[in-house]
Amino acid sequence: MGTMGLALPWKARIASVPRQRETRVEPSEHYAGGPKPTIVDAITEDAALAAGCRAGNLQTYERLYSIHGARMRNLARNLLGNLGDAEDAVQETFLKVQRSIASFRGQSSFVTWTYRILINTCYDARRSRLRKKEVANDDSGETPRLEPRAPGAHPSLRMALERALATLTKHQRDVFLLYEVEGFRHAEIAGMLEITETASKNTLFQAKKNLRLILEPPRSSAAEAR
Amino acid sequence: MMMNATCKDRERIFEDGTPGEWAALEAHSANCPVCAEELKAWKSLSVAAQEMRDYTDSPSFWPRIERALAEEAVRKTQRAERRSWLSFLPSVPLSWQTAVAGAFVLVLTISAGWIYVHWPNRPEQHDKSLLKSAALENVEHAEAVYVQAIDRLAEETRPQLENPATPLLANYHEKLVVLDSAIADLRAQAGLNPSNAQLRHQLLAVYQEKQQTLEEVLEARKQ
Repeated sequence: MGTMGLALPWKARIASVPRQRETRVEPSEHYAGGPKPTIVDAITEDAALAAGCRAGNLQTYERLYSIHGARMRNLARNLLGNLGDAEDAVQETFLKVQRSIASFRGQSSFVTWTYRILINTCYDARRSRLRKKEVANDDSGETPRLEPRAPGAHPSLRMALERALATLTKHQRDVFLLYEVEGFRHAEIAGMLEITETASKNTLFQAKKNLRLILEPPRSSAAEAR
Repeated sequence: MMMNATCKDRERIFEDGTPGEWAALEAHSANCPVCAEELKAWKSLSVAAQEMRDYTDSPSFWPRIERALAEEAVRKTQRAERRSWLSFLPSVPLSWQTAVAGAFVLVLTISAGWIYVHWPNRPEQHDKSLLKSAALENVEHAEAVYVQAIDRLAEETRPQLENPATPLLANYHEKLVVLDSAIADLRAQAGLNPSNAQLRHQLLAVYQEKQQTLEEVLEARKQ
Protein backbone atom coordinates (compact mmCIF):
# COMPACT_ATOMS: atom_id res chain seq x y z
CA MET A 1 0.00 0.00 0.00
CA GLY A 2 1.49 3.32 -1.00
CA THR A 3 1.79 6.18 1.42
CA MET A 4 -0.69 8.98 1.13
CA GLY A 5 1.76 11.68 2.11
CA LEU A 6 -0.56 12.85 4.91
CA ALA A 7 0.00 12.29 8.61
CA LEU A 8 -3.32 10.57 9.07
CA PRO A 9 -3.95 7.38 10.98
CA TRP A 10 -6.18 6.09 8.19
CA LYS A 11 -3.63 6.12 5.42
CA ALA A 12 -3.26 2.39 5.46
CA ARG A 13 -6.99 1.90 4.98
CA ILE A 14 -7.98 4.81 2.85
CA ALA A 15 -7.42 3.02 -0.43
CA SER A 16 -10.18 0.57 0.43
CA VAL A 17 -12.74 3.36 0.65
CA PRO A 18 -14.56 3.53 -2.67
CA ARG A 19 -14.34 6.80 -4.56
CA GLN A 20 -18.07 7.30 -4.79
CA ARG A 21 -17.74 10.79 -6.15
CA GLU A 22 -14.82 10.19 -8.44
CA THR A 23 -16.76 11.44 -11.44
CA ARG A 24 -17.63 14.72 -9.72
CA VAL A 25 -14.78 15.32 -7.32
CA GLU A 26 -12.45 15.99 -10.15
CA PRO A 27 -14.11 18.34 -12.58
CA SER A 28 -17.12 16.79 -14.17
CA GLU A 29 -19.00 20.03 -14.55
CA HIS A 30 -18.11 20.43 -18.18
CA TYR A 31 -20.93 18.66 -19.91
CA ALA A 32 -20.70 18.12 -23.58
CA GLY A 33 -23.76 18.18 -25.80
CA GLY A 34 -26.18 20.04 -23.53
CA PRO A 35 -27.63 19.23 -20.15
CA LYS A 36 -27.87 15.67 -19.00
CA PRO A 37 -31.32 14.25 -18.29
CA THR A 38 -30.63 14.29 -14.55
CA ILE A 39 -30.09 18.04 -14.66
CA VAL A 40 -33.37 18.51 -16.51
CA ASP A 41 -35.08 16.46 -13.83
CA ALA A 42 -33.43 18.55 -11.14
CA ILE A 43 -34.61 21.77 -12.78
CA THR A 44 -38.17 20.44 -12.98
CA GLU A 45 -38.01 19.29 -9.37
CA ASP A 46 -36.59 22.66 -8.32
CA ALA A 47 -39.42 24.55 -10.05
CA ALA A 48 -42.00 22.25 -8.49
CA LEU A 49 -40.54 22.79 -5.04
CA ALA A 50 -40.52 26.56 -5.50
CA ALA A 51 -44.13 26.57 -6.73
CA GLY A 52 -45.33 24.33 -3.90
CA CYS A 53 -43.58 26.36 -1.23
CA ARG A 54 -44.94 29.58 -2.73
CA ALA A 55 -48.44 28.09 -2.50
CA GLY A 56 -47.80 27.34 1.17
CA ASN A 57 -48.15 23.62 0.64
CA LEU A 58 -46.76 21.84 3.70
CA GLN A 59 -46.31 18.62 1.73
CA THR A 60 -43.87 20.45 -0.55
CA TYR A 61 -41.89 21.56 2.47
CA GLU A 62 -41.85 17.96 3.59
CA ARG A 63 -40.57 16.97 0.17
CA LEU A 64 -37.89 19.65 0.38
CA TYR A 65 -36.94 18.21 3.75
CA SER A 66 -36.92 14.63 2.50
CA ILE A 67 -34.58 15.57 -0.37
CA HIS A 68 -32.33 18.08 1.36
CA GLY A 69 -33.04 17.91 5.09
CA ALA A 70 -30.24 15.49 5.98
CA ARG A 71 -27.71 17.38 3.88
CA MET A 72 -28.84 20.72 5.32
CA ARG A 73 -28.51 19.34 8.83
CA ASN A 74 -25.07 17.90 8.10
CA LEU A 75 -23.85 21.14 6.55
CA ALA A 76 -25.17 23.18 9.48
CA ARG A 77 -23.57 20.76 11.90
CA ASN A 78 -20.20 21.09 10.18
CA LEU A 79 -20.53 24.87 10.12
CA LEU A 80 -21.71 25.23 13.71
CA GLY A 81 -20.05 22.27 15.36
CA ASN A 82 -23.00 20.78 17.21
CA LEU A 83 -26.28 19.14 16.35
CA GLY A 84 -28.51 21.29 18.55
CA ASP A 85 -27.50 24.54 16.91
CA ALA A 86 -27.57 22.84 13.50
CA GLU A 87 -31.18 21.70 13.91
CA ASP A 88 -32.20 25.15 15.13
CA ALA A 89 -30.55 26.67 12.05
CA VAL A 90 -32.29 24.25 9.68
CA GLN A 91 -35.67 24.92 11.29
CA GLU A 92 -35.07 28.65 11.08
CA THR A 93 -34.14 28.22 7.43
CA PHE A 94 -37.45 26.51 6.65
CA LEU A 95 -39.29 29.33 8.41
CA LYS A 96 -37.33 31.95 6.50
CA VAL A 97 -38.12 30.19 3.24
CA GLN A 98 -41.80 30.24 4.17
CA ARG A 99 -41.70 33.90 5.13
CA SER A 100 -39.78 35.15 2.12
CA ILE A 101 -40.77 32.79 -0.67
CA ALA A 102 -42.76 35.65 -2.23
CA SER A 103 -39.49 37.50 -2.76
CA PHE A 104 -37.84 34.56 -4.55
CA ARG A 105 -37.50 35.70 -8.16
CA GLY A 106 -35.85 32.59 -9.58
CA GLN A 107 -32.53 34.30 -10.31
CA SER A 108 -30.83 31.22 -8.86
CA SER A 109 -32.29 27.78 -8.34
CA PHE A 110 -34.71 27.43 -5.45
CA VAL A 111 -32.47 24.89 -3.73
CA THR A 112 -29.41 27.15 -4.08
CA TRP A 113 -31.48 29.99 -2.61
CA THR A 114 -32.52 27.75 0.28
CA TYR A 115 -28.93 26.75 1.00
CA ARG A 116 -27.88 30.40 0.84
CA ILE A 117 -30.46 31.13 3.54
CA LEU A 118 -29.14 28.19 5.56
CA ILE A 119 -25.53 29.35 5.31
CA ASN A 120 -26.48 32.92 6.26
CA THR A 121 -28.52 31.58 9.18
CA CYS A 122 -25.48 29.59 10.31
CA TYR A 123 -23.29 32.71 10.01
CA ASP A 124 -25.82 34.62 12.12
CA ALA A 125 -25.91 31.85 14.72
CA ARG A 126 -22.11 31.76 14.80
CA ARG A 127 -21.93 35.54 15.24
CA SER A 128 -24.56 35.43 17.95
CA ARG A 129 -22.64 32.68 19.74
CA LEU A 130 -19.45 34.68 19.43
CA ARG A 131 -21.12 37.74 20.96
CA LYS A 132 -22.35 35.63 23.86
CA LYS A 133 -18.83 34.28 24.33
CA GLU A 134 -17.46 37.82 24.33
CA VAL A 135 -19.96 38.78 26.98
CA ALA A 136 -18.87 35.77 29.01
CA ASN A 137 -15.20 36.78 28.49
CA ASP A 138 -14.54 33.55 26.67
CA ASP A 139 -12.04 34.33 23.92
CA SER A 140 -11.99 30.92 22.33
CA GLY A 141 -12.63 32.50 18.92
CA GLU A 142 -15.04 31.94 16.08
CA THR A 143 -13.98 28.38 15.25
CA PRO A 144 -16.85 26.01 15.90
CA ARG A 145 -16.38 23.74 18.87
CA LEU A 146 -17.00 20.24 17.56
CA GLU A 147 -19.04 17.89 19.63
CA PRO A 148 -18.58 14.12 19.43
CA ARG A 149 -20.60 12.31 16.78
CA ALA A 150 -21.62 8.76 16.22
CA PRO A 151 -18.50 6.82 15.28
CA GLY A 152 -17.94 6.56 11.55
CA ALA A 153 -15.70 4.29 9.52
CA HIS A 154 -12.64 6.39 10.34
CA PRO A 155 -13.35 8.44 13.47
CA SER A 156 -9.72 9.51 13.93
CA LEU A 157 -9.57 10.62 10.29
CA ARG A 158 -12.69 12.72 10.73
CA MET A 159 -11.38 14.28 13.92
CA ALA A 160 -8.05 15.10 12.32
CA LEU A 161 -9.81 16.71 9.38
CA GLU A 162 -12.19 18.64 11.63
CA ARG A 163 -9.27 20.02 13.59
CA ALA A 164 -7.46 20.97 10.40
CA LEU A 165 -10.61 22.58 8.96
CA ALA A 166 -10.91 24.70 12.08
CA THR A 167 -7.63 26.40 11.20
CA LEU A 168 -8.80 27.44 7.70
CA THR A 169 -10.41 30.74 6.87
CA LYS A 170 -14.19 30.84 6.98
CA HIS A 171 -14.50 30.94 3.21
CA GLN A 172 -12.05 28.10 2.67
CA ARG A 173 -13.86 25.96 5.23
CA ASP A 174 -17.26 26.72 3.73
CA VAL A 175 -16.19 25.94 0.17
CA PHE A 176 -14.44 22.73 1.24
CA LEU A 177 -17.51 21.57 3.16
CA LEU A 178 -19.89 22.43 0.33
CA TYR A 179 -17.78 20.87 -2.41
CA GLU A 180 -16.03 17.93 -0.82
CA VAL A 181 -18.47 16.97 1.92
CA GLU A 182 -21.84 17.93 0.53
CA GLY A 183 -20.98 17.38 -3.11
CA PHE A 184 -22.19 20.66 -4.59
CA ARG A 185 -20.81 21.88 -7.89
CA HIS A 186 -18.80 25.08 -8.08
CA ALA A 187 -21.65 26.82 -9.91
CA GLU A 188 -23.99 26.01 -7.02
CA ILE A 189 -21.44 27.05 -4.40
CA ALA A 190 -20.93 30.32 -6.26
CA GLY A 191 -24.67 30.97 -5.98
CA MET A 192 -24.79 30.04 -2.32
CA LEU A 193 -21.81 32.09 -1.20
CA GLU A 194 -22.41 34.88 -3.72
CA ILE A 195 -18.96 34.56 -5.24
CA THR A 196 -17.80 33.66 -8.76
CA GLU A 197 -17.25 30.12 -9.88
CA THR A 198 -13.56 30.89 -10.36
CA ALA A 199 -13.33 32.20 -6.81
CA SER A 200 -14.97 29.01 -5.58
CA LYS A 201 -12.44 26.85 -7.45
CA ASN A 202 -9.53 28.96 -6.24
CA THR A 203 -10.76 28.93 -2.64
CA LEU A 204 -11.11 25.15 -2.74
CA PHE A 205 -7.60 24.83 -4.14
CA GLN A 206 -6.18 27.03 -1.37
CA ALA A 207 -8.20 25.15 1.26
CA LYS A 208 -6.87 21.79 0.12
CA LYS A 209 -3.31 23.09 -0.09
CA ASN A 210 -3.56 24.39 3.46
CA LEU A 211 -5.13 21.16 4.69
CA ARG A 212 -2.29 19.20 3.14
CA LEU A 213 0.25 21.41 4.89
CA ILE A 214 -1.52 20.90 8.21
CA LEU A 215 -2.05 17.17 7.81
CA GLU A 216 1.27 16.34 6.14
CA PRO A 217 3.81 14.79 8.54
CA PRO A 218 7.14 16.56 9.09
CA ARG A 219 9.55 15.58 6.31
CA SER A 220 11.88 13.71 8.70
CA SER A 221 9.15 11.50 10.16
CA ALA A 222 7.76 10.87 6.70
CA ALA A 223 11.16 9.72 5.57
CA GLU A 224 11.43 7.46 8.62
CA ALA A 225 8.05 5.97 7.83
CA ARG A 226 9.35 4.99 4.43
CA MET B 1 -6.19 12.61 -29.21
CA MET B 2 -4.89 12.23 -25.66
CA MET B 3 -3.60 15.39 -23.97
CA ASN B 4 -0.18 15.53 -22.42
CA ALA B 5 0.50 16.82 -18.90
CA THR B 6 3.76 17.53 -17.10
CA CYS B 7 4.75 18.12 -13.48
CA LYS B 8 4.45 21.86 -14.13
CA ASP B 9 0.76 21.49 -15.04
CA ARG B 10 -0.11 19.64 -11.83
CA GLU B 11 -1.09 22.59 -9.60
CA ARG B 12 -3.10 24.28 -12.32
CA ILE B 13 -4.98 21.06 -13.02
CA PHE B 14 -5.64 20.62 -9.29
CA GLU B 15 -7.16 24.09 -9.25
CA ASP B 16 -9.17 24.15 -12.44
CA GLY B 17 -8.37 21.26 -14.75
CA THR B 18 -10.73 19.90 -17.36
CA PRO B 19 -11.61 16.18 -17.35
CA GLY B 20 -9.17 15.74 -20.26
CA GLU B 21 -6.38 17.40 -18.32
CA TRP B 22 -7.10 15.25 -15.29
CA ALA B 23 -6.88 12.16 -17.45
CA ALA B 24 -3.56 13.40 -18.85
CA LEU B 25 -2.24 14.00 -15.32
CA GLU B 26 -3.31 10.49 -14.28
CA ALA B 27 -1.46 9.11 -17.29
CA HIS B 28 1.61 11.17 -16.48
CA SER B 29 1.51 9.99 -12.85
CA ALA B 30 1.89 6.39 -13.96
CA ASN B 31 5.50 7.24 -14.86
CA CYS B 32 6.17 10.06 -12.33
CA PRO B 33 6.36 9.00 -8.65
CA VAL B 34 6.29 12.62 -7.40
CA CYS B 35 3.10 13.46 -9.29
CA ALA B 36 1.62 10.10 -8.34
CA GLU B 37 2.21 10.89 -4.66
CA GLU B 38 0.80 14.40 -5.00
CA LEU B 39 -2.25 13.17 -6.89
CA LYS B 40 -2.95 10.50 -4.31
CA ALA B 41 -2.63 12.94 -1.40
CA TRP B 42 -4.84 15.43 -3.20
CA LYS B 43 -7.56 12.86 -3.78
CA SER B 44 -7.22 11.51 -0.26
CA LEU B 45 -8.59 14.80 1.08
CA SER B 46 -11.75 14.23 -0.91
CA VAL B 47 -12.02 10.75 0.48
CA ALA B 48 -11.39 12.00 4.00
CA ALA B 49 -14.15 14.58 3.53
CA GLN B 50 -16.65 11.72 3.17
CA GLU B 51 -16.07 11.02 6.84
CA MET B 52 -17.72 14.32 7.65
CA ARG B 53 -20.95 13.21 6.07
CA ASP B 54 -23.57 12.05 8.53
CA TYR B 55 -26.92 11.76 6.83
CA THR B 56 -28.59 9.64 9.51
CA ASP B 57 -32.25 10.52 9.88
CA SER B 58 -33.69 12.07 13.02
CA PRO B 59 -37.35 10.96 13.25
CA SER B 60 -38.38 13.80 15.53
CA PHE B 61 -36.81 16.54 13.43
CA TRP B 62 -39.34 16.89 10.60
CA PRO B 63 -42.38 16.92 12.97
CA ARG B 64 -40.68 19.75 14.84
CA ILE B 65 -40.14 21.76 11.65
CA GLU B 66 -43.66 20.96 10.44
CA ARG B 67 -45.16 22.26 13.68
CA ALA B 68 -43.12 25.46 13.42
CA LEU B 69 -44.20 25.92 9.79
CA ALA B 70 -47.86 25.37 10.66
CA GLU B 71 -47.68 27.92 13.48
CA GLU B 72 -45.96 30.39 11.20
CA ALA B 73 -48.66 29.83 8.55
CA VAL B 74 -51.37 30.68 11.09
CA ARG B 75 -49.52 33.83 12.13
CA LYS B 76 -49.07 34.77 8.47
CA THR B 77 -52.81 34.39 7.85
CA GLN B 78 -53.63 36.55 10.87
CA ARG B 79 -51.21 39.21 9.69
CA ALA B 80 -52.76 39.11 6.22
CA GLU B 81 -56.25 39.52 7.71
CA ARG B 82 -55.12 42.53 9.69
CA ARG B 83 -53.56 44.04 6.61
CA SER B 84 -56.73 43.47 4.57
CA TRP B 85 -58.54 45.96 6.81
CA LEU B 86 -56.28 48.64 5.42
CA SER B 87 -56.08 47.25 1.90
CA PHE B 88 -58.30 50.03 0.52
CA LEU B 89 -55.77 52.67 1.56
CA PRO B 90 -53.40 52.45 -1.41
CA SER B 91 -56.26 53.26 -3.81
CA VAL B 92 -57.12 56.47 -1.92
CA PRO B 93 -55.16 59.55 -3.10
CA LEU B 94 -52.53 60.83 -0.71
CA SER B 95 -54.25 64.21 -0.31
CA TRP B 96 -57.42 62.46 0.85
CA GLN B 97 -55.45 60.26 3.22
CA THR B 98 -53.87 63.40 4.70
CA ALA B 99 -57.25 65.13 4.98
CA VAL B 100 -58.78 62.10 6.71
CA ALA B 101 -55.86 61.88 9.09
CA GLY B 102 -56.16 65.63 9.85
CA ALA B 103 -59.88 65.35 10.46
CA PHE B 104 -59.28 62.40 12.71
CA VAL B 105 -56.74 64.35 14.76
CA LEU B 106 -59.16 67.30 14.96
CA VAL B 107 -62.03 65.11 16.16
CA LEU B 108 -59.71 63.49 18.67
CA THR B 109 -58.58 66.88 20.02
CA ILE B 110 -62.13 68.21 20.31
CA SER B 111 -63.29 65.02 22.01
CA ALA B 112 -60.44 65.14 24.47
CA GLY B 113 -61.19 68.80 25.22
CA TRP B 114 -64.88 68.11 25.72
CA ILE B 115 -64.17 65.18 27.99
CA TYR B 116 -61.73 67.28 29.98
CA VAL B 117 -64.24 70.08 30.47
CA HIS B 118 -67.23 67.83 31.17
CA TRP B 119 -65.57 65.11 33.11
CA PRO B 120 -68.02 64.44 36.00
CA ASN B 121 -65.46 63.45 38.60
CA ARG B 122 -62.99 66.13 37.77
CA PRO B 123 -61.88 67.72 41.07
CA GLU B 124 -63.17 71.22 41.75
CA GLN B 125 -60.90 74.18 41.42
CA HIS B 126 -59.91 74.44 45.04
CA ASP B 127 -57.99 77.65 44.54
CA LYS B 128 -60.90 80.01 44.91
CA SER B 129 -58.60 82.98 44.98
CA LEU B 130 -58.64 82.81 41.18
CA LEU B 131 -61.90 84.14 39.79
CA LYS B 132 -63.43 82.75 36.61
CA SER B 133 -64.11 85.25 33.85
CA ALA B 134 -67.90 85.51 34.34
CA ALA B 135 -67.57 86.13 38.07
CA LEU B 136 -64.83 88.62 37.41
CA GLU B 137 -67.07 90.61 35.11
CA ASN B 138 -69.77 90.81 37.82
CA VAL B 139 -67.25 91.88 40.44
CA GLU B 140 -65.78 94.55 38.20
CA HIS B 141 -69.23 95.86 37.31
CA ALA B 142 -70.35 95.99 40.97
CA GLU B 143 -67.07 97.60 41.93
CA ALA B 144 -67.46 100.30 39.30
CA VAL B 145 -70.96 101.15 40.55
CA TYR B 146 -69.77 101.10 44.16
CA VAL B 147 -66.77 103.34 43.36
CA GLN B 148 -69.04 105.81 41.59
CA ALA B 149 -71.31 105.94 44.63
CA ILE B 150 -68.35 106.52 46.96
CA ASP B 151 -66.98 109.20 44.59
CA ARG B 152 -70.30 111.02 44.76
CA LEU B 153 -70.11 110.79 48.55
CA ALA B 154 -66.53 112.11 48.47
CA GLU B 155 -67.70 114.98 46.26
CA GLU B 156 -70.20 115.99 48.93
CA THR B 157 -67.59 115.98 51.69
CA ARG B 158 -64.87 117.70 49.66
CA PRO B 159 -65.57 121.33 50.97
CA GLN B 160 -65.22 120.31 54.62
CA LEU B 161 -62.20 118.13 54.06
CA GLU B 162 -60.25 120.64 51.96
CA ASN B 163 -60.74 123.27 54.69
CA PRO B 164 -61.23 121.28 57.88
CA ALA B 165 -62.88 123.34 60.55
CA THR B 166 -62.06 121.00 63.40
CA PRO B 167 -59.13 118.69 64.27
CA LEU B 168 -61.49 115.73 63.84
CA LEU B 169 -62.18 116.66 60.21
CA ALA B 170 -58.44 117.15 59.69
CA ASN B 171 -57.90 113.59 60.95
CA TYR B 172 -60.62 112.28 58.64
CA HIS B 173 -58.93 114.07 55.77
CA GLU B 174 -55.59 112.42 56.53
CA LYS B 175 -57.25 109.05 56.91
CA LEU B 176 -58.98 109.43 53.54
CA VAL B 177 -55.69 110.40 51.89
CA VAL B 178 -54.14 107.18 53.26
CA LEU B 179 -57.18 105.14 52.15
CA ASP B 180 -57.03 106.67 48.64
CA SER B 181 -53.37 105.80 48.48
CA ALA B 182 -54.13 102.18 49.53
CA ILE B 183 -56.97 102.04 46.98
CA ALA B 184 -54.61 103.23 44.24
CA ASP B 185 -52.03 100.54 45.17
CA LEU B 186 -54.59 97.75 45.30
CA ARG B 187 -56.18 98.80 42.02
CA ALA B 188 -52.78 98.76 40.37
CA GLN B 189 -52.16 95.23 41.67
CA ALA B 190 -55.66 94.10 40.67
CA GLY B 191 -55.01 95.47 37.19
CA LEU B 192 -52.02 93.20 36.87
CA ASN B 193 -53.86 90.19 38.26
CA PRO B 194 -57.59 90.74 37.74
CA SER B 195 -58.53 87.14 38.64
CA ASN B 196 -57.09 87.37 42.14
CA ALA B 197 -60.10 87.41 44.43
CA GLN B 198 -57.96 88.07 47.48
CA LEU B 199 -56.95 91.45 46.09
CA ARG B 200 -60.57 92.18 45.29
CA HIS B 201 -61.56 91.46 48.90
CA GLN B 202 -58.86 93.77 50.21
CA LEU B 203 -59.93 96.49 47.81
CA LEU B 204 -63.56 96.09 48.91
CA ALA B 205 -62.53 96.34 52.56
CA VAL B 206 -60.64 99.58 51.89
CA TYR B 207 -63.59 100.98 49.91
CA GLN B 208 -65.91 100.09 52.81
CA GLU B 209 -63.54 101.82 55.19
CA LYS B 210 -63.55 104.89 52.93
CA GLN B 211 -67.35 104.78 52.71
CA GLN B 212 -67.63 104.58 56.49
CA THR B 213 -65.13 107.43 56.94
CA LEU B 214 -67.03 109.62 54.46
CA GLU B 215 -70.30 108.86 56.26
CA GLU B 216 -68.65 109.86 59.52
CA VAL B 217 -67.47 113.11 57.85
CA LEU B 218 -71.07 113.80 56.79
CA GLU B 219 -72.27 113.02 60.32
CA ALA B 220 -69.66 115.43 61.74
CA ARG B 221 -70.87 118.21 59.35
CA LYS B 222 -74.49 117.81 60.57
CA GLN B 223 -73.32 118.16 64.13
